[in-house]
Amino acid sequence: MTTKSALRELCPYVCLAALGLGFSVSLAFAAERFGAAMPQVAKGGDALSVAFGDAKTTISLAMVHKADSYFHGGIDMDCDDAHGHGHERGQESEDEHGHVHEHEDEGAQSAGGGSDPWRWINSHIRAPEIHRHLDGAEAVELMPWFWAAVKADPHNADAWTTAMYVAERMLKDRNLARRIADEAGAKNPDSMEIAIATAQFEYDRGHGDVLLAEALFERVRSIGKAKCGGRLAELDPHDAEDFCRALDYLSKIMADRGDKAGVRQLLEEVRSTGLQTPVLKSIAERL
Amino acid sequence: MKTFLRQIGALVRLSFVELWRRNDVFGLLVLALALMAPLSMASPFGASGASRYLDEAALLLIWAFSLFIALGTGSRLFPPEFESRTVYPLLSKPISRGRVLFGKYLGAVSASWSALAFFYALYFGSSLLRGGSASAEFFQAVALHFAFVALAVSVALLGSLLVTPSANLTLSAIALTGMFFFGRRLPEYAETLSAPLAWLTRLVYAVGPHAEFFDMRQRLVHGWGAVDAGVFAVVLAYAAAYSCVCLALAAAALKRRRL
Repeated sequence: MTTKSALRELCPYVCLAALGLGFSVSLAFAAERFGAAMPQVAKGGDALSVAFGDAKTTISLAMVHKADSYFHGGIDMDCDDAHGHGHERGQESEDEHGHVHEHEDEGAQSAGGGSDPWRWINSHIRAPEIHRHLDGAEAVELMPWFWAAVKADPHNADAWTTAMYVAERMLKDRNLARRIADEAGAKNPDSMEIAIATAQFEYDRGHGDVLLAEALFERVRSIGKAKCGGRLAELDPHDAEDFCRALDYLSKIMADRGDKAGVRQLLEEVRSTGLQTPVLKSIAERL
Repeated sequence: MKTFLRQIGALVRLSFVELWRRNDVFGLLVLALALMAPLSMASPFGASGASRYLDEAALLLIWAFSLFIALGTGSRLFPPEFESRTVYPLLSKPISRGRVLFGKYLGAVSASWSALAFFYALYFGSSLLRGGSASAEFFQAVALHFAFVALAVSVALLGSLLVTPSANLTLSAIALTGMFFFGRRLPEYAETLSAPLAWLTRLVYAVGPHAEFFDMRQRLVHGWGAVDAGVFAVVLAYAAAYSCVCLALAAAALKRRRL
């Protein structure tokens, strides 16, 4: 092969590489210049996020779904939020029951197969005889999927908070939970969901972490106020709920300290959100 | 009978040598190592002890590679022979077209099985190193995977006699991977479609190659235990019956082909 023909063969690849490079540079420029105008794709701010922003979010959600399937011993539960693990509100027992109940229904539906022989085969090959949940040290099997989820989309608050929950409550590894919380906070400084989950962990531990928890709840409070420019009635319902929850915890801490004026101020702020929430009653009772 | 076995043996040997001479398997092995090595070294959030994701990734790769090899060998059995006209000296021998087809099929299946056995041996070795052990479901999973490979080769072989090689590879890959991932959900999906599409989806569900029957990865990874022997036998019978139908159709297509 002569040099000329070798170069001719290489030509398309060189052109392709140049095109790719040009594309990447344009994306990087777009991320830098128009990042604020494309919040749906330019989450990470880099070229990859611009190109694959939505895909990365979808992959991240799929990874969380996979972790959920691992929690149920490999069964694809198609869980929705209503059947979530409820770690944020400490409702494990109810939700555990919810899961078992749902699975039993699914098993009863699929095991029969009726007149469909293919379904009969599938139900026997692809469904376990007993429904088991990962528990204790076994829950470490969930971590790679949460890790992959947050690698794909570092703004997936659900993945971060569930990973924290698994580390703290299931693995009983506080250092791991703290590391996850720190990383989550560093990558999502404006996320109320992550801030409140971190604060709750610190508060629930008690034993001297209340001061840190208070600072974190105050952070949620200031993020909430910053999001709506101080007009709390304009907070979106999800954020308003998180905001009120943070104030509920803060009111407990202040009431324990005997700071009635502070609690009154918190009650006013909850009222300003316009949200009809049980938090109103619980804060009022602390006055 | 002796002649039959000698003829079949020669054809099997030919397919076998062809696969291993092409070095596809070693290429795939290097790819597998390149993918698995970083995964095995990962320590998510600094937590150690998770291994199921490794098993799952390894098994997925084995499935992908086995499909690649099965479709490759199955679809390459006849088209190159037609193109290079080597089929003429082959058929000029005292051997029927049906016997050539069957011999080539057996060769492709045994060659693909040998590659699959090689991959499973590596998987089993790595599993033993991580403290795993041989279980009934492992052997069932391997057996069902072998049955799937036989089915996939027959599908590719049938396609190779009906459409062009590239169309065959594409259609076979779409049919098998589509059924592998979505096959069991087709009836629910059909419910959401309009009448003609729903009817088409149900037809695909009824006659398509149900690759998902052979997938015991979740059982292996999560330790669900072995499948009931009756169900296991039914799935093997399904693979045998489906392969036989594909081979019969392929034999008819070859017989009608003008050479």
